[in-house]
Amino acid sequence: MRRRRPLLAVLIGLFLSDMARGEDILVVANPSVTLGHPLSTGDVAAIYLLRLTLWPDGNAIIPVNREISSEVRTRFTAGVLHQDNASLIVYWNEMHFKGKAPPVVQESEQALLTFIRRVPGSVGYVSGGGGVPEGVVVLARLPVAAGSGGGGP
Amino acid sequence: MAMIFRHLSRLAQAAWLSGAIVVAALGAGAARAQEAEPADSYVPGQGFNVGPVNLAGYSSLVASLPDQGRKTLSLEDLSLYASAHVGIFVNPFMEAELTGLNLLPWAKGDDGGDGGKGHGYVVLERLYDDVQLPDGFTIRFGKMLAPVGDWNQIHAAPLVLSTVRPAATYRGFSQYATGLSVLYNDPEARWPDVQVYWQPMDEFSARPDSIVDDHYRLVEGLHVSFPLGLLDKVGFSVQRTIDRLGVEQHLAGVDFRYTMGPVTLQGEGVVSSLSQPAGVQTPRSLEWSAYVAPSYAFDDRWSIYGWYEIYDGRGTASASAGQAGPASDGTAQDVLAGFAFRPQPAMVFRLEYLLNVGGPPVNPTGLFASWSVLF
Repeated sequence: MRRRRPLLAVLIGLFLSDMARGEDILVVANPSVTLGHPLSTGDVAAIYLLRLTLWPDGNAIIPVNREISSEVRTRFTAGVLHQDNASLIVYWNEMHFKGKAPPVVQESEQALLTFIRRVPGSVGYVSGGGGVPEGVVVLARLPVAAGSGGGGP
Repeated sequence: MAMIFRHLSRLAQAAWLSGAIVVAALGAGAARAQEAEPADSYVPGQGFNVGPVNLAGYSSLVASLPDQGRKTLSLEDLSLYASAHVGIFVNPFMEAELTGLNLLPWAKGDDGGDGGKGHGYVVLERLYDDVQLPDGFTIRFGKMLAPVGDWNQIHAAPLVLSTVRPAATYRGFSQYATGLSVLYNDPEARWPDVQVYWQPMDEFSARPDSIVDDHYRLVEGLHVSFPLGLLDKVGFSVQRTIDRLGVEQHLAGVDFRYTMGPVTLQGEGVVSSLSQPAGVQTPRSLEWSAYVAPSYAFDDRWSIYGWYEIYDGRGTASASAGQAGPASDGTAQDVLAGFAFRPQPAMVFRLEYLLNVGGPPVNPTGLFASWSVLF
């Protein structure tokens, strides 16, 4: 019986670790994007708030978003951008009128990955639970709680 | 019949200009045709993407029911804008709009006349190119909106607070600058956003004399904006202009927006000093105006809003109705209250009442309603 306890603890640890990683958000980009370091949460927020518009090599950053009803967008918006959807839409509409294009929207993870594989400079995010997708590069793994939602500026 | 032809002429101009925008935009897109992008989802208000080109716009239908004067139903704005991102050096932006088109041309005013206005006109609002530099710097050249306050920079009807615009947000300064500008936006928002601009000559594609008070042959200025949150900010503006008559004006202004839960408070104040060159009749050497606007959001769809404005500057209600009028004495005070319904973020219905509570009216007392859409 005593010999089984350490094994159980290891199994529980592995389970929790896997759960935690499943809650992460992977920031992925077209393979044309080469960075020498992972993106920070602040960098990712600056990209989606249209403050960071160029990659270090000078190419334009094309942020890609998921549709507003998606669970991963809800977590990304609250946990990474620390905003709520309504405020962000107002903000993006204003920025659009000022000449800065809002993130492109793709309706599914597959569509988002297809877009990113084909468009140089594009960057998006997927749930970390499904492993690393093929044909893209991972720029960051951001820990975001599954319950992240709502939030405000 | 002549009236109909005039309308058709204006509409034809708008169609021609719109077509030119689309052709220009698609032409720019063809430069990167080899990068065939998969289609992305259309989001109302965020335009259509064709390769590196984004086509978007907005419209605003306004019913004006002033207590005195002509009642109108007009297409105040049908605006189309196109932007493209082709590289560091090629990031063009163009906006053209049809504005002031009265949809009830047979309607008569209280005096029995039609006022001779409301035929609509097409204007080029913006035409510029951005050179994007590292570290948040941008060089812009062309015709752009002058960054005096926030309202002038986001003046699209679906984006602003009310149908009737406070005079402080557009009167008595140059709303445009044709020339060169340098912008700085700190990617991490640690430092304020800064824009300096310089227009060394007459405005490009200026609006006709019949609808604007002034034309400027020199415009230069600075705007500094301190972000307080996603939408909240405090901004400071200075602008120096010389108009065609040689009157030199120095303006200083402050604007702000601050949100506390469902309550948002925004406002702007400007003060200007004007030179009085020999041979030019300038009734004022100092002008100033300010407004403050609270709003309360019940939810994402329904909200109420209002503003109070005090205005001591050139022009009266006659000018705001499109007729050049002499400067009048006294300080105008207007109060506005209304509600807004947004069935979705890119569309808004508004109903509001404006009351002149003192001085010569800079906006007419009456009821106003609008339906505005971003597309």
